[in-house]
Amino acid sequence: MRLHPRRLFSRLLRSRQVEGVLFVLPYGAIWALFLLWPVIYGFYISLFKWQPLLGSEFIGLKNYANLLQDARFWNALRNTFWFAALAMPLIIGIGLLFALFIWGSGRRRGGGFIEASFFWPYLLNVSIVSIIWKWLFDPDFGLILAYLRGIGLDPPVFLNDPLWVVPAIAFATGWWLAGYRMVVFRAAMEDIPDTVFELAELDGANPVVRLFRILIPLLKPAILFSLVLTAISSFRVLGQVLMMTDGGPGRASEVLALYLYRAGWQYLEMGRAAALGFVLFLIILVVTLVGFWVIGLESELGGR
Amino acid sequence: MRRSQTALALVLLIALMAGLGACAAPPPPAAGPAQEEAPQTRAEKYTLWFNTLFHSGDAQAMERIVQLYNETHQDTQITLTQGQWSEYYAQLTNAVIAGNPPQIGIVHTNKLSEMYPALTPLEASPAGNLLEAAGIQGENYIEALWQAGERDGHRYLVPLDTHMWGMWYNKDIFEAAGLDPENPPQTMEEFVAAADAIRDAGFIAFHPAEDALPRKLRRAWYILFWQQGGELFDEGYTQATFNNEKGLKALEFLVSMVQERGWNDPGTDGFKQFTAGQLGMLFAGNWMYWTAKESGVNWGFAYVPQFYDRRVTWANSHNLVIPKQPEGVSDEVLVKAAEAIKWINENSDLWGIYGGHIPAYKPALESQELRNSDTWQLSLSKFADMANNGWIHYPIDHPKGSQLESAIQVQIQRAYNGEISPEEALRLAEEEANQILQSQ
Repeated sequence: MRLHPRRLFSRLLRSRQVEGVLFVLPYGAIWALFLLWPVIYGFYISLFKWQPLLGSEFIGLKNYANLLQDARFWNALRNTFWFAALAMPLIIGIGLLFALFIWGSGRRRGGGFIEASFFWPYLLNVSIVSIIWKWLFDPDFGLILAYLRGIGLDPPVFLNDPLWVVPAIAFATGWWLAGYRMVVFRAAMEDIPDTVFELAELDGANPVVRLFRILIPLLKPAILFSLVLTAISSFRVLGQVLMMTDGGPGRASEVLALYLYRAGWQYLEMGRAAALGFVLFLIILVVTLVGFWVIGLESELGGR
Repeated sequence: MRRSQTALALVLLIALMAGLGACAAPPPPAAGPAQEEAPQTRAEKYTLWFNTLFHSGDAQAMERIVQLYNETHQDTQITLTQGQWSEYYAQLTNAVIAGNPPQIGIVHTNKLSEMYPALTPLEASPAGNLLEAAGIQGENYIEALWQAGERDGHRYLVPLDTHMWGMWYNKDIFEAAGLDPENPPQTMEEFVAAADAIRDAGFIAFHPAEDALPRKLRRAWYILFWQQGGELFDEGYTQATFNNEKGLKALEFLVSMVQERGWNDPGTDGFKQFTAGQLGMLFAGNWMYWTAKESGVNWGFAYVPQFYDRRVTWANSHNLVIPKQPEGVSDEVLVKAAEAIKWINENSDLWGIYGGHIPAYKPALESQELRNSDTWQLSLSKFADMANNGWIHYPIDHPKGSQLESAIQVQIQRAYNGEISPEEALRLAEEEANQILQSQ
C-alpha cells in the first residue's frame, strides 16, 4: 500500500531516529561550522604558501616536509610531550587527591569552604594565573625561591633554567586546572551508592583495597572524561608559556602551540602555521582515541 | 509528550535553517550603496575605524587624542580599537584580505617590508595623491623618520613618533654608593666603575634589558654591537654579518655582567628590581616613564652610555597608515582618513606628554605645552636629543624580520644564562639566520 506523502512525512517525523537527529542537528550544525570546517580549511591552507595579498602558491605537502627538517618543530614537539607528560598526571592526580580528601572527610562543617578554595583557581584567566606564578617564581621577590632558600636549599631560577622551566609551568598549570577535575571526581563519587562500600567493609576489604579495587574502577568514566580534557588542554598549552617565559630560556619551553602562534601571527606564514595546527590536531585526536581504547567507556556500574 | 517533543524539534530545525540561511547569505557587494554605508553613514557623516597596537599608557594617550578629535569634528568620527601588539600585524593583514580593514592603522618602521602589500600608497591611492589632498608635508617631520616611510618609490608611512631605550637610574642608590646622582656614567670606564661601586655598596648594580625577555636581551646586545659600527646583515640581506669580533665583544661584555662582574643575575626582572628600589641602573624604553614615576623611587634618566666607538641606542617608530581599502570605498573616505592622520600628528604633543614618545611632527615637538610638561623635563628631552643627534638604530627591516630576530634572541639569552659560550651562541644564531634567509 502506498502511503500518502503527507502521512509518510508525519510518520517519519514521529520515528525516534529522526527525532534524535533533529535534536542533535543544532549542535551538529554549529560543530560543523565552527570546528569541522576550520579543520578542513586549515588543512587546505597547509597545502599552500599562503599569502593572499601577493598570490598564494599551491605547494602540496611541502609545508609538512619542511616541518620534518625543522629543528625548531622537533624541539617544540618534544617540549609539548614533556609538558603533557608532567601536567596530565599532576592535574588529574591533584584533582583526585582533593576529591578524596573532601569525600573522605564527609559532610563536616567548612567542607564547602575547602571545596570552593580548591576550585577557585580554575575560575582565573590564564593571564592572571601566569602573572601570579611569574611573581611566585621570581628570583628576587618570589615566595617560592625565598622559602626554599629559607630552608637552606640553593634552588634554580625555575623559569630561567632549561631543565626546570617546563616542570615549573606544568606545576602552575596543575594548581590552575586541578579544581575542575576535583569537581568531576566528586560528582562521580557521590553517584556511588554507600551500600557498595558497606558490603566491601563487611567482606573485610581494607581501605587500600576499597580505594583501588572499588572506588577507582567505579570512577573510570570520570577519569576518562578528565583524561581527555586534560590531554587536550595539555597538548595545546599556550597562554601560560607565552606569558611566563615567552618560550624561553632559549627555546626550552617553546611548545607546538606557541610555535604555531608565532608562525601564523608573528611571521605571517599561515601555511606553515596551518601545517603545525594540523599536526597538533592529529596528535590530540590520536591521544583521545587511545584514551577511549585503554580505559573504555563502560563503567563498572553498567552505565555509560 | 511525544507530540510536544516533535514540535520542539521542528521549531529548533526551523530556527537553525533561518540562522544558517543568514550565515550563508552572500556578503554585500564590494561596490555600491551597501558598502557606502560602512565607512560613510547618512548625509556627509563619516566614521573612520582606527586600529592600533597600543596598550597601557600608550593606549590611554591615544584615547585622549581621538576623544579630542571626535569632540572637535562634526562630520567625521573616529572609532578606536586598541589591542595586543603581538597579534596586531596578522590581524591587520587578515582584515585587508577579508575586505574589512580599518581606515587608519599603525605600523612600525621596521615592519614596512613585511606590511606594504596591505597598505595604501599615499601619493598614488585610488583617490589620487592623499598627501596633497590632506596637506601632509615631509618637511614638517623629523627627517630620518620621514625618509624611512617609503618603499619602491611609494610613500606608505606618515611617522607619528620615535621611541627608544635609555638609561634609568636610582639617585638614592647612586648616593649610597658614593656616586654623583646628577652625573650618571656616560663612557665605558665610568659605567664599569659606577656599576662596580653600586654592587660593592650592596645593591643590584645594573639590568641591561627591562624584564630580560629574550627579545629585550637581544636589544641590549644590539646596542653594544651597533656601538662598534656592526651591522647584523649585509645590505641585500643575503647573509648574517654578526658572527665576528664585534658581535663577540658585545656579547662577551653582556654576558660578563651577570656571569663575572656580579652586577645582576640571569633571569631577573629589571622592572621589578627598579621599582622596588633595589636596582642602580636599568636599560629600558621611554614607556618606563609612568612606571618610574609611580614607583616612588628617586630616579633619574640619562642617555645610553657610549661604550664603544659611537653612541647608539635601539629605536623604532610608530607610523600612521591607511590600510588597503576594498573597492567601492569612496574617495572622500580616503581623504578624510589622510586628514585625520594629519590632525593626529598636529596634536601629537599629547602623545609626548601622556605617551612619553617623541613626536615625529616638528611643530608638536616644539609645542610649549610639551616642553613645559614633567615628561619632557624628566626624560623626554633626553630621548629627543638622542633622536636629533642620530644616536638611534632601527631593528631588522626584512619580510622575515621576526624570524631572524627569534633566531638571534634565543641564542643571546642562552649565552646570557651561561648555558652556552658567546662563540657558540653567535655561531648558532648565524646558522639559523642564514637558513631563514636562504629559505625564501
